[in-house]
Amino acid sequence: MNRRTGERQFALALFLPALLLLVVTTTLPLVYLVWTSLQRIDLSMPWLTGFAGLANYAQLGGDARFWSSLGLTFVYTGSTVALQVAVGLGLALLVMQVKAGQGLLRVAAILPIVLAPVVAGLFWRSLVLAPDFGILDFLTRALGLGSYNWLGDPQLALVSVIAIHTWQWTPFAFLVLLASLAALPPDVYEAARLDRANAWQRFRHITLPLLRPAIVIVVILRMVTALSAFAAIFAATGGGPGSATEILNLYAYRLSFTELNLGYGAAVATVLLLITLAVSFGLFALRKAR
Amino acid sequence: MRVRNVLLLGGAALMMVVWTFPVLWGLLTSLKSERDVLAYPPSILFEPTLGNYADVLFGATTILPNLVSSVIVAGLTTALTMLFAIPAAYALSRLDLPLRKASGFYVLATQMLPPVGLVIPYFLILRRIGWTDTYQGLVLVYLTFALPFAVWLLVSYFEEIPREMEEAALLDRAGRLRALWHVILPQAKGGIAVTVIFVFLNSWNEFLFAVVLGGNTVRTVTVAMFNFISLEQTQWARLAAAAMAGMAPVIVLGLIAQKHIVKGLTVGAVKGGGRR
Amino acid sequence: MKVDSKTRRRLLQAGAAAPVVLGAPWITRFAHAQDLGAYQAAKINWRQAEGEKITVAVIPAGYFDALIAVTPEFQALTGIEVRYEKVPPGQIRQKAILDLTSKTGTYATHAADPMYYDLYVANKWVEPIGNYLGDAKLTDASWYKPDDIIPAWRGANSVKGQLYGVPFDGESTLQIYRKDLYDAKGLKPAETFDEVMKNAAGVHNANDRLWGAALRGFKGAGQNMYIYPSIFRAFGGEWFGGGQFRANSREGVAALEWYVELLTKYAPPAVRNWNWPDLADAFSQSTLGLYVDANTSASVLNNPEKSKVIGKIGYARWPKGPSGKRVSSIWNWGFPINSALPDKAKRATWLFIQWACSAETQARTSWKAAGPVKRLGLNRLALWESKEFATLAGGLGANFLPASIASMREDLDVGWRPQMPQWPAVGETMATAIQAALVGQQKPQAALDEAQARIAQILKS
Repeated sequence: MNRRTGERQFALALFLPALLLLVVTTTLPLVYLVWTSLQRIDLSMPWLTGFAGLANYAQLGGDARFWSSLGLTFVYTGSTVALQVAVGLGLALLVMQVKAGQGLLRVAAILPIVLAPVVAGLFWRSLVLAPDFGILDFLTRALGLGSYNWLGDPQLALVSVIAIHTWQWTPFAFLVLLASLAALPPDVYEAARLDRANAWQRFRHITLPLLRPAIVIVVILRMVTALSAFAAIFAATGGGPGSATEILNLYAYRLSFTELNLGYGAAVATVLLLITLAVSFGLFALRKAR
Repeated sequence: MRVRNVLLLGGAALMMVVWTFPVLWGLLTSLKSERDVLAYPPSILFEPTLGNYADVLFGATTILPNLVSSVIVAGLTTALTMLFAIPAAYALSRLDLPLRKASGFYVLATQMLPPVGLVIPYFLILRRIGWTDTYQGLVLVYLTFALPFAVWLLVSYFEEIPREMEEAALLDRAGRLRALWHVILPQAKGGIAVTVIFVFLNSWNEFLFAVVLGGNTVRTVTVAMFNFISLEQTQWARLAAAAMAGMAPVIVLGLIAQKHIVKGLTVGAVKGGGRR
Repeated sequence: MKVDSKTRRRLLQAGAAAPVVLGAPWITRFAHAQDLGAYQAAKINWRQAEGEKITVAVIPAGYFDALIAVTPEFQALTGIEVRYEKVPPGQIRQKAILDLTSKTGTYATHAADPMYYDLYVANKWVEPIGNYLGDAKLTDASWYKPDDIIPAWRGANSVKGQLYGVPFDGESTLQIYRKDLYDAKGLKPAETFDEVMKNAAGVHNANDRLWGAALRGFKGAGQNMYIYPSIFRAFGGEWFGGGQFRANSREGVAALEWYVELLTKYAPPAVRNWNWPDLADAFSQSTLGLYVDANTSASVLNNPEKSKVIGKIGYARWPKGPSGKRVSSIWNWGFPINSALPDKAKRATWLFIQWACSAETQARTSWKAAGPVKRLGLNRLALWESKEFATLAGGLGANFLPASIASMREDLDVGWRPQMPQWPAVGETMATAIQAALVGQQKPQAALDEAQARIAQILKS
């Protein structure tokens, strides 16, 4: 009993500093964010500064750009996560068949992951997607597919930023799923093979269920990254053209730091915060239920 | 069977090209003169020059001060993070911590916060206390993503260590702290190294906080690189050289620790995540 | 149209890739060698704020490097120590506002965007310059000749007739065209907006990578919203009517439709994301027949390391719009005085501004500069018309000086962009709407209607 109390006190002593630091650096600022979202803080109209109640949130209702931005956030998050998991899983299954060169592939896969997103955005924007100077433009022309304005056309720009994100983070999904695949016990496959199950059946009924925990965690982590994406889009399109790639992160940034309307920007950021928390809790709940 | 193998190899090769291409092309561009960069069609054969590197390292547009800023910010963040994260992770993973589940969940939740939700209050707070464009200000903000991540990753490593080893140490009346020091830490060396690398990498690559809360004194390489596209004349070759120079530390770090990173991703994502 | 390569190189450096000249060993030599007599002719005590230290935020640019290079002279003259901070153009507004709102007085003065003075003044963040100009102890008006500074630039930096920032360097916008191509086709620089289209059609040959015309399409208050207002005003648009902001007037929509039509028909598709460096790159790679942008970009276009069009460039004023007006954009980097400073520091700051924007320093950072950087964007027409400047700028292309001088004398229109404290939000909203129309996300009318609604919401108080 004594020993147990001692251990608890010891555990607390080790844990509390980090906990306090986290409360001070994350939770209190978020409380302040919510408080800010209830204020009118517009540096360009300082004489209006003051408590505004829910006025900022009421304004969201009629703000078309907010709604389009919200929609883009869902499209961007949904598509990048789905693509990463699908492509990552496909590649992992493929690479499992290739015995030689796996090490080389792992090295290649590390490259996008360690690159700063802002650099990824800049590289894609200037070296790959830029019309006339970009290599992709050169390739499509050389192949007779014509020239595309990847970052200048609203639809293509959205496709492009989704592609950039997918390019950068698919290796993560790939590496995790590859490692999980490699850790699967080979004997179940043997058994299935003896049962004359075909490849699809083996995948559907053996591999997939065994991989499910890994897939779910990949989905969660990728979703969190996608929901906080900023730098790559900022560098590649700045949210444009028009507002075609302006997800909530960029909209909140623009409102707060370009238009100087911090109160309203805080309201948008609060909505994003709620969405992120809801999505994460939802996924965790889903996970527990299984 | 032959055909299938060729296809598989082809697919794998294509993937490698796609993943490495932008970086390799960036490397190539960084060795070109500005005129060669603008050439159409893009030139593969050209007279390579190290002039861009000379410029971005020692010339007018030097990024050396930015590299220093990044080293300080990322280094301090990593050191502080580990100082707080190791004991916390130990308590979370091995000890009878009150409200352990809730605490673990809290740490996890803080890891998921969107940075734009933090940058707005921090902009207002740091401005008030005069900490914008200071190292202490930026490091404080970097802890918001580094600390939860480090705790979460370390927990999964600590949990892997067999209990018996610790028990043995405890029977020796070594005490918990010494058990942590002499048993857990040596056992988790690899995991700690991976965590250090990840925290450093994430801090090095951070952009949003640095661009809003940094300034002239504290301007990290990511911000400096972004600034290359807003100068009087965009200089693609120099931008590429700056990017290669600025990313060299993380690329090298990534390649050296490549095996551990993969293991880190897996342990952190699958194993640790699997239990929580 | 010959430029000797030495001049070219100098101009190149004035425009871009400006080397940092501070700290070079020749500076000390240079400072001692320079004669301060030209400044001491002013009947003020330059040393009245001796011992003060001030920090000046500028952007990394050739013209500020030229100023930094001669700053040791200012220190010798006044005993005031000046520290420069280089803040990239994309961040200088935000960093300045951060300093001004927190009243820390970090930046005694900074390179200010003219569109921000209304905001600064509404918050009382900056001092009326008139207080300093009018004080005989601080300013010798007969020496300084403040009225010589380009009036429209001063107008742009004024709020309700009061000056708040002294222009240091600036530009007007001109048609920059390929004289060789125009001559070959028998075309003359456009005098009307219709002729712009006709000329563009005349040289356009997209299959051969030659586009007829291009304008900034990149989204930003200082990018596409830097060009659109010229078209808007030339179409007869008024930003305010009946006490209301009016983005979607008939003229506004017509102007945007013209903008969209020109770029859709004759510009490279990528232009919608192009800022002026991209335009300059494309023009100097010989892929554009015409673009309209800052006259000072002439130095970049004559960069022998990048440009393929040296000797082929012509310049002309903006054409007349349907309303009969020619309207050039206005831009200058001006220096305001931070209100948060103590009195003595404010005086020191004023002495710095007076020195930097005086005719003598303007000349010493241009043709008189001993360093490699010789700037073009001088703040007085008398300097533009001087023989020495003509020698410096003569080789930049056909008609450069006459077009520049005429446009700065006649085409600058202070009401060209809406002067209001809410500009940061209004400018961004307009820029987004313009780009949305340029890329075809929305029709011009719909884009401007949406902008109008949004701006009305912003202005609601």
